Amino acid sequence: MSVDRIEAQRIAAELEEPVRQARALAETLGLSPYEVNYWIVDHDEMNALIAYGGFQHRYPHWRWGMAYDRQRKERQFAGGKAFEIVNNDDPAHAFLQQSNAMADQKAVITHVEAHADFFANNEWFGLFADDLDAAAMLERHAERIESIMSDPEVDREAVERWIDHVLCLEDVIDQHTEFVRTVESEVTETDPLADEIAALDLSDEVRREVFDDEWLERIEEEAGVEGPAVDLLAFLRDHGMAFDEDEGKAVEFEEWQREVLDVLRTEAYYFAPQRMTKVMNEGWAAYWESIMMAGETFAGDDEFVRYADHQARVLGSPGLNPYKLGKELWEYVETVANRREVAGKLLRVEGVSWRNFHDVIDFDDVLSALEPPPELDSIAPNRLDDLAERDDGTVDHEAIERARSGDADIERYPWTVLTEDGMARRHFSLVKPQHRGALSRIGQRELERLSRYMFDEDRYATVEAALDDVDFGAGWNRMREVRESHNDVTFIDEFLTQEFVDEHRYFTYEYVHASGENRVTSTDYEDVKRKLLLQFTNFGKPTVAVEDGNFRNRGELLLAHRYNGVMLDVKQAKRVLERIFELWGRPVHLKTIVKELDDKDVEIARRRNREPEPKERGRLVSFDGDSISEQELAWAEVEDIAADDVDYDTKPEEWLA
Amino acid sequence: MGLNDDLDRFREVGEKRREDLADFIQYGDLGKSLPDRVRVPIKIVNLPEFAYDRRDAGGVGQGDADLGDPVGQPQPGDGDEDGEPGEESDEHEYYEMDPEEFAQELDEELGLDLEPKGKEVVEEKEGDYTDLTRSGPDSTLDFDRLFKEGLKRKLAMDVDEEFLHELLRVEGVGPDEAFEWARERRVPVSYAWLADAHENVPEAERERWESVDELEEHVQYEPAARRIRREGLRHIPFRRDDERYRYPEVIEERETNVVVVNIRDVSGSMRQAKRELVERTFTPLDWYLQGKYDNAEFVYVAHDAEAWEVDRDEFFGIRSGGGTRISSAYELVAEILAERYPWHQWNRYVFAAGDSENSSNDTRENVIPLMESIDANLHAYVETQPSGNAINATHAEEVDDALADANDVAVAYVTGKEDVVDAIYEILSTEDES
Repeated sequence: MSVDRIEAQRIAAELEEPVRQARALAETLGLSPYEVNYWIVDHDEMNALIAYGGFQHRYPHWRWGMAYDRQRKERQFAGGKAFEIVNNDDPAHAFLQQSNAMADQKAVITHVEAHADFFANNEWFGLFADDLDAAAMLERHAERIESIMSDPEVDREAVERWIDHVLCLEDVIDQHTEFVRTVESEVTETDPLADEIAALDLSDEVRREVFDDEWLERIEEEAGVEGPAVDLLAFLRDHGMAFDEDEGKAVEFEEWQREVLDVLRTEAYYFAPQRMTKVMNEGWAAYWESIMMAGETFAGDDEFVRYADHQARVLGSPGLNPYKLGKELWEYVETVANRREVAGKLLRVEGVSWRNFHDVIDFDDVLSALEPPPELDSIAPNRLDDLAERDDGTVDHEAIERARSGDADIERYPWTVLTEDGMARRHFSLVKPQHRGALSRIGQRELERLSRYMFDEDRYATVEAALDDVDFGAGWNRMREVRESHNDVTFIDEFLTQEFVDEHRYFTYEYVHASGENRVTSTDYEDVKRKLLLQFTNFGKPTVAVEDGNFRNRGELLLAHRYNGVMLDVKQAKRVLERIFELWGRPVHLKTIVKELDDKDVEIARRRNREPEPKERGRLVSFDGDSISEQELAWAEVEDIAADDVDYDTKPEEWLA
Repeated sequence: MGLNDDLDRFREVGEKRREDLADFIQYGDLGKSLPDRVRVPIKIVNLPEFAYDRRDAGGVGQGDADLGDPVGQPQPGDGDEDGEPGEESDEHEYYEMDPEEFAQELDEELGLDLEPKGKEVVEEKEGDYTDLTRSGPDSTLDFDRLFKEGLKRKLAMDVDEEFLHELLRVEGVGPDEAFEWARERRVPVSYAWLADAHENVPEAERERWESVDELEEHVQYEPAARRIRREGLRHIPFRRDDERYRYPEVIEERETNVVVVNIRDVSGSMRQAKRELVERTFTPLDWYLQGKYDNAEFVYVAHDAEAWEVDRDEFFGIRSGGGTRISSAYELVAEILAERYPWHQWNRYVFAAGDSENSSNDTRENVIPLMESIDANLHAYVETQPSGNAINATHAEEVDDALADANDVAVAYVTGKEDVVDAIYEILSTEDES
């Protein structure tokens, strides 16, 4: 056995206790994670895992090599940053780096437990499969592709090129629907959509339920698309052909080509939920990590500085940081729910109404009443008697007995004597320094809404009586609800408010032609939200769907970009078309809308100190196997792909250049 | 298969997709490279995908901001670091090569084959303990040698004394005759010993043998070697003189040292476009020579009417107002080279660049003699004159005319980026031929 293995075992033994305690703590906090298997790996194994997206075996492909190379270089210079890798699997597998300091290991463990909770409870993760065994699936895929590559009949490089072609389209799937592995279909001339649905092989009942007439109409009407066109990979698998260089024409896929396509599509679906919930998931993990590490001092005193440092580095990465945005949003969700709970109780006090709320309520008094009682706030052996006297469900009396008899170490693990309610009381967000202003900031409109349906307005005689009834778990309950059903898009859409944008100082920026640089355009939450939604809707990619699989009656493929006011990167799109040609075997076309600005307009606008107004024009980009061509389309031909109800432009009407 | 295969494949793919080297030199972004890491952009390593136009998409940032404030950097997509699959970054990828590989690639691309010349001394290092000295620690005593020398000495000194005693008993043989005999047979015995021995021969025995022949019929002179074989070695006369101590051999490694002097005119007439062309020409030359030689040092000299030495960082950016006197640079270079890079130890390359403007007569009267007097593998002048020739800009021509026959002087004309590779070829192939 190598020294490293022995060392790894020693570390593993050391970590057993923190892992057990972290799980107990997570459960006390109301989380219900998948089981997690922890593995100790060395620095290089960690790099490899990161490159492979958290798994040990992937199909052979150069981009893992690229990721690995980049990872090694970055980490060589980035210093001893602690990395967490946990994969979405049941049980989940998490990897701890051998050389991490104990504080980092603990932080990683708490973070991982929260991720595992998210994997287990977020509905979007349920879309992929009921009985998840991701590691085995990916390994099967790897073996399958390896065996194709080592088939003497098949050229290895051809397989690799094929993978490249397919990967260019890995985002062009229908990530919002349940993953259906096998779609076998026969194309009939009549109604490709009905055909596709028939091919889903669903029972009539389900079909009527899901694909009712209304839905069919809406789909056809809205997008002008025929077929389950959003899942381009499935469409190509079922109807695509390869181009045979020698014969100069389209030929049926080889079996391996179809198989590779299918494997990659399956993986795209597997990874989709993680990418659709990145802000939420990372924020969720960062939130609970911080509650456990800092709030519950899961990091020992000596480890705390190091932990704080680690946390600052992770959250302080430049640019828009999904960890930070997510954590801030979760805290906001929590605080808003708590504030609503408290305000709702206060509005039921005699003489308090939404109109006079801010005048009659002494927020300082309220906040001090909400402070956790000392025996809950700092749990110590000499306060056990006080704790034992509480009969409000916040303490675990059996655990207190154990602590008294010395069986539980409450100096190190104080939370063991509390229940989830006790924890909620202890960590109630409204009294934390950073959220102290939240209660008084509650707006009139929100108060009015709260009191609108209130029937027992004078339930409490005093503020104290009202506060006694506060459900301190309101915030966490709300968070758990949200964690179950939302994805990043709905999360941001629902919870981003002006209050949030102001507090965290978010702004939007746009490219300004007059000065040739990006400029701040708005701090209005509607604008910030729009821009964020643009970044997170459909993986932040434009929606492109199949419009016609028999374009010009010549079996050519017509794709349509659903233009939402932000144009495509046309140059890149052309390269994608070249790739799609390889998967379709015949000419491919993309209908889109581009914005044009001529130099003269820019110049005139600059002189007038104004932004030039780009002209929107229809465009058909085509690749026939040899060359790319572009053709202007009359507006009537692209009207159907232009969305007129969304506007991602945040520039003010009167632009001050 | 496995990650290392993937890494190899990435390197192969990257190699294939990297920008053509000549294109890179002429049009690429040289600024991404470090002096010892050449970073050639790789074409399309990130697979293409349907994406928004970055400019048109705008973005979200965080921080105190007022409407209309410029946003410094285009905000990176996100600060994510766990590299999930499918996360493509918008950054360029680079194929990194070290200068050795760069030089090799450029050789291939341009059909060059410059062999660096080994120059003197460099490093002495201890080789095997094969040299010998007369004193040293006991442990390095060459005992084999001592024994052999002792044996030789024994062989040389050892005589068959019994036979000599008998010889002196031959009728009519005295010390004189015996000595004579011994000399003929190369028996190492002294006259004194023979005389002594003869004295001791009793009278009665002096005529035991009638003649030497008779003696030799009965008793053979036995050479030392044969007797040692018969009797064994009883005693070897070790002598201090024979002691030798092993000593490590000194190996002189001839490392190939090169000093590359980059001279640049920084006077007012050297505008942006000209400066860029100089950088584009000099930088690959520097990499190339660095890649060819074991040890490369660089000297950067900027000049207008005066010359001064600068760091590489500032070299390509400096702009001053003054006039131009190219000889000032060569004077400084001559000093620097003499002081720091002696010709017997260093390969020297002196590259100068400018727009060929010089103060009157300076080229003929000063620069050319200086170029001739400074020993170097190669002198080169690169004229960067994007707008064609200026009237008074004749430095390059004058140098060309005066030193055209010298095989260690190259003059290259760069009027635009497209000339850069040709210029590099011109310069490097000049030495190649020599």
